[in-house]
Amino acid sequence: MAQDTAVPKLNFEYWLDKAIEWGQATTLESQKDVCLHLPQLQEFLHQLYETLKHMDSIAAIQQFPLIGQLLGRLCWNPFVIGYDESQKTLMWCLCCLYSSEPQNPVELKANSWIRSLLCHLLSSSKWESSEAETSAFISTLGYTSADYYCHLVKSMVFSLVTELRGNQFSELNIQGRVSTSRLNAVSLFCVPLITLPDLTPLVETLLLYHGGASKEILSSEFLEAVNEAFLKKKISLSESAVFSLWLRHLPSLEKATLYLLDQLVSVQMNSLEEVACVMKDLLLPQAASHPAIFRIVNEIFKNAVLETDGAPEVMTIIQVFTQLFLQGHQNEYKQHKFPLKTYFPHHHQPLVAALLRRPFELPTTHWAEHLKHISHMLKALVEDPNSSSLADLFEIWFLVARFGEWLDIAVEQLLKAAAESDALLWLLAFYYCPQNENQQRTQTMVEAQAVYNHLMRLFSCTVLSVKDLEAAVPSVKDVEQCCSKHLITHLLTNFLLFSSGGHMIAQEFIDHITETTDTSKEVCSLLIRTAYRINRSGEENQRTLKLLNELLQKLTLKV
Amino acid sequence: MEAVLEQVEQLPALLAVSRSALVRDWDSLTLDRALEWARYFQHLHDRFRTRPRLREALGRRLRRGQRSPLLGFPNLGRCPQLLGLALLENRALPPAACRRLIHSLLCPGGAEPGPEPRSLALLARRKAASRLLALPRPPEGLEPQVQAEAQLLLSRLREEGQEAQPAGEAAGSLRWLSGVLEQLPQRRAFGVVAAALLLRQESGAEQAGGGERVGNSLNGNQVSATEEDLAGPLLAWLLENMERFSAFCLFLPGSLLASLAGHYSQLNRPYLDLLTGWGSGLLYDPLQGRWVKRCLDKAVLSWEELRERFSCLCQGSDLVKAQTQAALKLLKAQGGDFNVRGLSVWTDLLMELEEYLRKEAER
Repeated sequence: MAQDTAVPKLNFEYWLDKAIEWGQATTLESQKDVCLHLPQLQEFLHQLYETLKHMDSIAAIQQFPLIGQLLGRLCWNPFVIGYDESQKTLMWCLCCLYSSEPQNPVELKANSWIRSLLCHLLSSSKWESSEAETSAFISTLGYTSADYYCHLVKSMVFSLVTELRGNQFSELNIQGRVSTSRLNAVSLFCVPLITLPDLTPLVETLLLYHGGASKEILSSEFLEAVNEAFLKKKISLSESAVFSLWLRHLPSLEKATLYLLDQLVSVQMNSLEEVACVMKDLLLPQAASHPAIFRIVNEIFKNAVLETDGAPEVMTIIQVFTQLFLQGHQNEYKQHKFPLKTYFPHHHQPLVAALLRRPFELPTTHWAEHLKHISHMLKALVEDPNSSSLADLFEIWFLVARFGEWLDIAVEQLLKAAAESDALLWLLAFYYCPQNENQQRTQTMVEAQAVYNHLMRLFSCTVLSVKDLEAAVPSVKDVEQCCSKHLITHLLTNFLLFSSGGHMIAQEFIDHITETTDTSKEVCSLLIRTAYRINRSGEENQRTLKLLNELLQKLTLKV
Repeated sequence: MEAVLEQVEQLPALLAVSRSALVRDWDSLTLDRALEWARYFQHLHDRFRTRPRLREALGRRLRRGQRSPLLGFPNLGRCPQLLGLALLENRALPPAACRRLIHSLLCPGGAEPGPEPRSLALLARRKAASRLLALPRPPEGLEPQVQAEAQLLLSRLREEGQEAQPAGEAAGSLRWLSGVLEQLPQRRAFGVVAAALLLRQESGAEQAGGGERVGNSLNGNQVSATEEDLAGPLLAWLLENMERFSAFCLFLPGSLLASLAGHYSQLNRPYLDLLTGWGSGLLYDPLQGRWVKRCLDKAVLSWEELRERFSCLCQGSDLVKAQTQAALKLLKAQGGDFNVRGLSVWTDLLMELEEYLRKEAER
């Protein structure tokens, strides 16, 4: 719901004017306006209660002479009473105004008025003539209005759900169809009630309802409010209902994606398992199996990469998202499945196919070969003079980046298997330095190659000192090209994890480089990713895992 | 235990006082005591809920001294709400006590941090929801209000069924049911009974929607046994008085009656008998060429209405359909077995129905 109209604190008159203007919210215009203001009104009522609770009723009426008018009007507005916790706060305010020893006719009248309002809110009372018999009936049965309204709301929801579902299947039957205006009204009336669990079946049925109309029939206030409540975990909805919401309402999908990014970037995550969990909870990777949703999320991710200049956290998030998406896609039933190329339509398909292979689907001994194949395809694409616009280049780079797990494996393979080093180094150089306008990438290759050669000489030494490593990279601090710097950090981190002597000096060396350069976040991302990969592969590598955990513990404190 | 039983016996009196003008003399201390008693009863309920013999003893004691069994063991669990809301509606309660009441019922950190304040907020929210969702609705089916009342009636019947009643109390429970239904205007009561009979059929093990406290004292294995008996008192009430049954059948739509007849064979025969009676009340008017009412008696159906009811019965289960057709054929035979229109109302009905069914089958 919109939070843009900033309202000064305790702006009593503003809300009194609003309450008068709304009345009992019988026109569409006033209904929409109430829905728009519900969260702010609730905030205001809270503040009002905080003020009132320290006063006696006389002082309260002196300070707010029109408070009776305001509260009374709000109590008769079902949108306000139905919303979230507003009814509770309103009743608290009424309690504050009730005087235990009324001194004069005004106070007596106020007391009596408060009781009428409370009865109006709570009982199926004798004062509302239409329900007089109901009231006698339920009390004869030994029940209260609480029991009655519980059943009444459920019956109403059930009846509306039946009507809508019946309709869905009888589209040819023109007479039986629910009119668009009726549906629109139902959805608008649900806005304040979305977080009431009794309503969930109706909310889901509405979300899944598609009339014949090409225009959206549900009110946008409803769609926005459902999305908001879902993201804030105030309601739980079936997957299909959420997917349907995002498919029919683009702003909600955008908001959900941004909310996910925001949540993951702003909170320190200690493992990618946690990241994966947050994502799956929000259902976004699952929803992305709809190509339309996948495309939108993809665009938003691209923008996030551009805006953050490829920040390592963002890249990691996108990689995990892609992995979860693939996992979900694999688990889906064949007949519902879209072919994977639907999701990457404008790319060189053999490259897509190669990147889509998940590492565990291949024997480890084939990894280096597979990476070489990817590297060669990429090189051919990138160096093709016909398709070298900057936009094309970015698209190719982004495709490679989303499958970043292969890049991490490339570094590991370089060190462990020492195979195909040219091709693998080129692949990494491309990732860290996609452009080669002034020969930057060529320069990066040269620098990385030098460091790599040196590291390989040290790889089997069982005893190492930080000095030895520093000698290997005399210039990490001085390397001018930042692309080279990232690539070298990647190589070094993996060297520490996988070489014979690296474990002994890992902590010291990481302290050293993160102190002298601004790479804590980057190293942290690399380590978290490696831990996630080892954990998932089921590889027996206790020694490395233990080291990773120690390093991460210390590093996450710093970041 | 005897002490507890004696306390429980006081509950009806406590509730009766809370609804009377006697609360005029209550101060805030009296009020606190009353609410404490209510919470104590709720506590007893929660403690003995799963112990059949004790709950039976409490239930029996609770019934002692009441003319008809208005309160049973489950009422103990609802006590704070029953008492709180009754007092809130009681205008005789003086200001000091009332202030204490609304503070402990509604305010944060009131006397009891238990579930009460939340549940009253939920009540207000649900009441508002029922206002918001009360949109004009398509005419078919029974109104949600009637459905909700039927749910409550069923829940209460379920609770009654759980209180092991000595044999021979069937007459007492029928009297009780009549008393309850008399609270409603007759037509409304008919709707509620019909809805309850149909809901019972639908919900089976699902337990009638499950209110907050309503019916949650039941546990699975007891359901099936009592479920069977639930319809008993309702059917008995309907069939107890033929005038009532006739009004019931006249008021409710044919489709609904047909599905009741399909579910409850006990209703099928009396319903057909009623329709037979009404059909015999029609006369053929040769000038107009159609069947008309013999006199302008309101309690008789027109030809169109009669035909509608029979066709609803023929759309029901195979059994009901067969029985209906057999009954019509018998009536036709008794009337001389003519195959010409305008002589016997049953011949005409049967012909129209058969034509209708043939058309249905072709579609």
